[in-house]
Amino acid sequence: MSDYILELKDITKIFPGVKALDGVKFQLKKGEIHALMGENGAGKSTFIKVITGVHRAEEGEMFLEGEKVNFKKTKDAQEAGIAAVYQHPTSYPDLTVAENIFKGHEVLKFGMIQWKEMNRQAETLLEQLNADFKVTDEMGTLSVAQQQMVEIAKALSTNARIIILDEPTAALTKNESEELYRIVDKLKENGVSIIFISHRFEDMYRLADRVTVLRDSQYIGTYDVDGITNADLIKAMVGREIKDLFPKPEVKLGEEVIRVENFSRTGYFKDVSFKVRAGEIIGLTGLVGAGRTEVVESICGVTRPDSGKVFLNGKEVTIKEPSDAMKNGIILLPEDRQKQGLILSWGLGDNVTLPIISKYAKGGFNDTKKERELAKDLLESVDTKAVSIFDKASTLSGGNQQKVVVAKALAQEMKVVIMDEPTKGVDVGAKAEIYQIMGELAKEGYAIIMISSEMPEILGMSDRIVIMCNGRVTGQLDRQETTQERILELAMEKSEK
Amino acid sequence: MAGKSGRTIAHTQNKSLLKRLMCWESMLVILFIIVNIYCSSLSSTYQINNVLREMPKYLTEVFLLLPMAYILVMGDIDISVGSIVCLSATVACILGNKGLPFGLVLLVGLLTGALCGLINGIIVTKFTELPPMIVTLGTQILFRGIAEIALGSGGSISLEHAEGFRMLAGRVGRIPYILFLVLILAVIYIIILSKTTFGRKLYAIGSNKLAAYYAGVKVQKIRLIVFTLTGLMAGLSALFLTALQYGVNTTTASGFEMNAISMAVFGGISTAGGKGRLQGGVIAAFIIISLRVGLGQINLNPQVILIILGALLILAVMAPNIVEQFKLMKKRSSVK
Amino acid sequence: MKNSKSILKKLTASREVSLIIVLVILCVAIGLRSPSFLTLKSIADMFKNNVVTMIMAVGMLGVLLVGGIDISIASTLAFSGMAVGMLLKRGVITSTPLAILIAVGIGLVCGLLVGLVVAKGNVAPIIASMGFMYIYRGLAYVISNNEWASADSLGDFKNFALGKILGINNVVWIMILIYIAFFILMKWTTLGRKLYAVGSNREAAEISGINASNVILFSHTMMGVLAGLCGALAVSIYASAQANMLYGKEMDVIAACVIGGVSMTGGRGSVLGAFLGALILAIIAKALPLVGIEAIAQNTVKGVIILVVIILNVLTQRSMDKNSLKEREL
Repeated sequence: MSDYILELKDITKIFPGVKALDGVKFQLKKGEIHALMGENGAGKSTFIKVITGVHRAEEGEMFLEGEKVNFKKTKDAQEAGIAAVYQHPTSYPDLTVAENIFKGHEVLKFGMIQWKEMNRQAETLLEQLNADFKVTDEMGTLSVAQQQMVEIAKALSTNARIIILDEPTAALTKNESEELYRIVDKLKENGVSIIFISHRFEDMYRLADRVTVLRDSQYIGTYDVDGITNADLIKAMVGREIKDLFPKPEVKLGEEVIRVENFSRTGYFKDVSFKVRAGEIIGLTGLVGAGRTEVVESICGVTRPDSGKVFLNGKEVTIKEPSDAMKNGIILLPEDRQKQGLILSWGLGDNVTLPIISKYAKGGFNDTKKERELAKDLLESVDTKAVSIFDKASTLSGGNQQKVVVAKALAQEMKVVIMDEPTKGVDVGAKAEIYQIMGELAKEGYAIIMISSEMPEILGMSDRIVIMCNGRVTGQLDRQETTQERILELAMEKSEK
Repeated sequence: MAGKSGRTIAHTQNKSLLKRLMCWESMLVILFIIVNIYCSSLSSTYQINNVLREMPKYLTEVFLLLPMAYILVMGDIDISVGSIVCLSATVACILGNKGLPFGLVLLVGLLTGALCGLINGIIVTKFTELPPMIVTLGTQILFRGIAEIALGSGGSISLEHAEGFRMLAGRVGRIPYILFLVLILAVIYIIILSKTTFGRKLYAIGSNKLAAYYAGVKVQKIRLIVFTLTGLMAGLSALFLTALQYGVNTTTASGFEMNAISMAVFGGISTAGGKGRLQGGVIAAFIIISLRVGLGQINLNPQVILIILGALLILAVMAPNIVEQFKLMKKRSSVK
Repeated sequence: MKNSKSILKKLTASREVSLIIVLVILCVAIGLRSPSFLTLKSIADMFKNNVVTMIMAVGMLGVLLVGGIDISIASTLAFSGMAVGMLLKRGVITSTPLAILIAVGIGLVCGLLVGLVVAKGNVAPIIASMGFMYIYRGLAYVISNNEWASADSLGDFKNFALGKILGINNVVWIMILIYIAFFILMKWTTLGRKLYAVGSNREAAEISGINASNVILFSHTMMGVLAGLCGALAVSIYASAQANMLYGKEMDVIAACVIGGVSMTGGRGSVLGAFLGALILAIIAKALPLVGIEAIAQNTVKGVIILVVIILNVLTQRSMDKNSLKEREL
C-alpha cells in the first residue's frame, strides 16, 4: 500500500507543435493540501487536465492509492473520486444551483430526474459550506465566489477523495478568500486531499503543506512550505532571481492633468472625486466589486455616469464614448485583455494601430506602410516577445498580451493612461517588465491610474492610493503614510457593518 | 523609451507568389471557369448573348450581396432585405402608376428602402441585447406585411407607365445597364472594405465588438450606417426588379436574403464575423449566376438548381474545416 | 407588503405566466367583440389549422436550446409531404400509418444530415440549414415531377385529419402527445437537461463529459423527425401535396419560439413557452378577421407583435436591473 493517494510518473503530453508537459512527476499524500505553482504556461492547467481525464498523456503512468489507473474520459476520473474546480467556473448560468451541482450524476428514479430529492441533497451540501443562497437560484445571478462554492459543492456531491482547485482565489475578494480558506481547511479535516493552483503566495502559505513547482513544462521540485522563502520559490518558478520587482522611479510631479468630481452612477458608485498630476501613478484599490472598474469605465465613456464632471487640464470635458475619451487624451486599458483589450484573431500590429487608423489614413484609405512601421516601433519599445507584427495576438502569453495593450496607449498622444489590473494573470517575470514600462511612462509625464487588488503592487508602484469601498472613496493616502493594514481597513470599512 | 533587450520585430511579410495564389478566391475563379466550360458543353445556347440577356434578374440579388457582406463581416445578419425589396418595389410601382415624375419615383423607392434599413438599424443599435436575427425576422414579416396591405386583395400590381422603368432595364449594345452598375458598385464596395479605415473597423467589430469599442471604434454608429445602407441597396434592387418584372407581387424577392447570404458565405465570408473578403463573394455570385443561366438553358427546373446550390454551399463551408482538421492531424503526427 | 411585491415579481419574471395573462386578455377581448370565437368548434378548428406550427415549434425549441437554429424545416416538410403525396397518388401505398411512418423516416434522415453537418462538420447552423433548405425544397420539386397530389388522389389519407377520437381531431391528438413527450423529456430526463446544459455553456458541458456534438445532432434529428411528420399531417389537413407547400413557414415557427421566450442564444426556453408562443400566433391569425381587421393585414400585425414582444422584453429586463441597482445601498 502506497503512502500516496495519487502519484504520477513521467507524464508527457504533446499538443500539436508543442510539448505541454515533459516528464512531470507528482505525489499527493493522503489528506494533504498540495500547492502547484509555476508561471503562466508552465503547464499547470494541462497537468490538472491530465489528472482529471480531460487530456490523455502520451507517456507516463498514474497511480491511485498505489493502483495504476488510466482515465479515458472525465467520467472515469469522477468515478475514481477526483473532482476539479476550474479557474473559470464551468457552470451553466441558465440553470439552477441544484442542477449545476448534480449535472452529470442527477438523482434518478426510473430514468426520471427527482427534482425534490436533488434539491434537498443540494441544500444539505450547501449548508455544510455556509452558503447564503438558495438551491433554486439561477447560477448566472450568483457572484463568482458563490459560483465557486457551488463548484465545490459539486465536487463534494461526487464524494470526491481528491479535489483540485485551479486558481480558486483569483477572482475573490479578501473576505471571500478567507471564507474559501475555511472551507478548504474543513475539507482537509474530512480527509479530502487537495491540490490547488495559485499565483498568490499568500494562498500557499496559508493553506498548503507542500508545494510542487513546474517551469517550462518540466518538473522543478517539491518543497515543504515550512521553511521556504518567497525568493526561493520565485527562483524556482522563473529560474532566476528577480531583485527589483518594483522599479518605481522618483518622478517630479507636474500640474494636475485630470480631475474627477462627484462622480455617481446608481448602484455602482457615489460621489467619487480624485485628481491625478502629470507623472503621478495613482493606485485605485479596494475589494473586487467596490466600483473601481465602473468608475474608470464611466470616465472613459464606456458607460455614462448619472452625475459628476471630468476636468482635463482644468477644463471640463464631455465624454460619451471611448472614442471621445481618446480624442481628449484619456485611454483605458481594460482588465479583460482577451475580451476587451485585444482582437485575438488579429495580428499584433493591427491591434496596436486600431485606435489610430483614422489619424494616419489618407482620405479614408489605410496607410498600411506607416501603420506597420509604427506598430513595429511601439511593440519593440515595450519589448514584446514576438517574431513579427503579424503574429496573432492569441499566440502570446498573458504578460506579452498586456504589453501589446500598453503599446496601444503609446500609439497616440495620451495624457492619462488608466490600467485596470495590468498584471492580472501575468507571470512574475513579465510583471516586473510591465512595472518598468509603467515607471517610464510616469517619467515621461503621463498621469497614470492603476487599478489593482494586489497589495504589493499597490504599495510598490503608486505615489498615492485611492481606496474605494462599496462604491465610495473611503480614503486617499500618500505613499509615505500608507501601510497594508491601513488600506485593508479602509477597503473593508463599510462592508463589515 | 526603448526596449532593453533590443529584440527586433519584423514588420514585413514575405509571402511567395504561390502562397498568395493559394486562397479561396483563386479556388472560386477556377470554379467559375469550370462552371462556364461545363455550361457551354451542356448547351450550345450558352453563349455570351444569351447569358447577358438572362443575367439581369439574377443581378438584382448581387445588389443585396454587397451590403450583406458588410453586415456579415460585422458579425450581424439581416434577413429582412427580401421584404424591403418587396416593399420598396411596391411603393415605386404605386407611385409610378400614379404618374409621378420618374425621378421622384426612383428617389422615393430608394428612400423607402433606406427608411426600412434605418428602422432595422435603430432597433438593433438601441436594443443591443437583441440578436439582429430576431429583429430582422420581425421586420421581415412586418415589411412584407405592409407591402401586402398596399398591394391589396389582388396581391399584385403591374406597371402602367413603364417608360421610365423600361429605361432602367435598357442596355448599351448588348450589355445591360444593371451589369455596369453592379460591377461599379462591387468595385467600390470591395475597395471600401479592404482598403479604408471604415472597412478595417467593420472587421474589428466582427472580430471583437467589445475590444473595438474600447479601442475607440464607434460600433453602434457604424452598425446603424451599414443597416441603413443595406436598406438603400435593397431599394435599388427593387427598382431594377420592378423594371425587369413589369410589376410587383406579394412574393417578389422572397428568399433574396438567403440568396444574398449564401453568395457571401460561398465566397468565404463567415457568418461569425470578422472573416472573408468581398472579392470572393462577388466571384461566388457570378458562379451561381452562371450556373443558373446555364442550367436554365437546358430547361432544368429552376428548383432543381437549388439542390446544386445548396450542396455547393455546404461543401464550400465544410471544405476549410476539413482541411483544418487534416492539417491538425498532420501536425500531431509530425511532433511524435 | 414585501410578500405581495415578490409575488408580482414572480408573475412578471416568469415568461410563461405573463404569456398566459396576455392570452387570457386576448381571448376575452376577442370573445367580447365576436362571441363566435370562443365556441368549441372555432377553437377546435384553430388548433387543427395550426398543428403544424405547434409541433415544429417544440422541435425548434430543442434546436434553439443548444444555441442552434434550423431554417430547413419547411423544406423538409415539403419534401416528406410531397413524397407521401406522390406515393399515395401513384398507389404505391394506401395505408395511412405507413404513409406517416415514411414521412417520419424521411424527416429523420433530413434532420440527421443537417445535424451531422452542424455537429460534426462544424458549420454554423444557419448556413448548414440554409443549404439544406435549398436541397430539400429542390428534392420536393424533383419528386413532384411538376405535378401535385390533389384531394382525390390521396384516397383515405385525407380522412385522417378529419377523424376524431373523444371529440378531438386525430392531428390535435398527435400534437398533444408530442407535447407531453417533450415536456417529460425536457423536464425529467438527463437527455433533455443536456440540451439546456450544452446551450448554457458548451465548454462546461464538454468538460463534465457531455458529448455536446451528439446532443446537437440529436436536437436536429428530433427537429427533422417532427418536420417530416408534419409533412404528412399537412398533406392530410390541407388535402393536397404541393412542392411549394408551407414556403417560409420556418420563420413562423421561429417567431412562435421567440414570442414564447425561447432564447436565440441557447440555454433558455420551455416547452410551455413554445406552445404558448405558437398559440398566440394562431389566435391572432384566427381573430383578426373576427375583429374586423382584414386578413391581408395579418403579417403586419404579426411583425409588429414580434417586435413589440422582444423590445418589451428588453425594456422590462432593463428596468428590473435598474431597480435592483437602486436597491443597492452605497
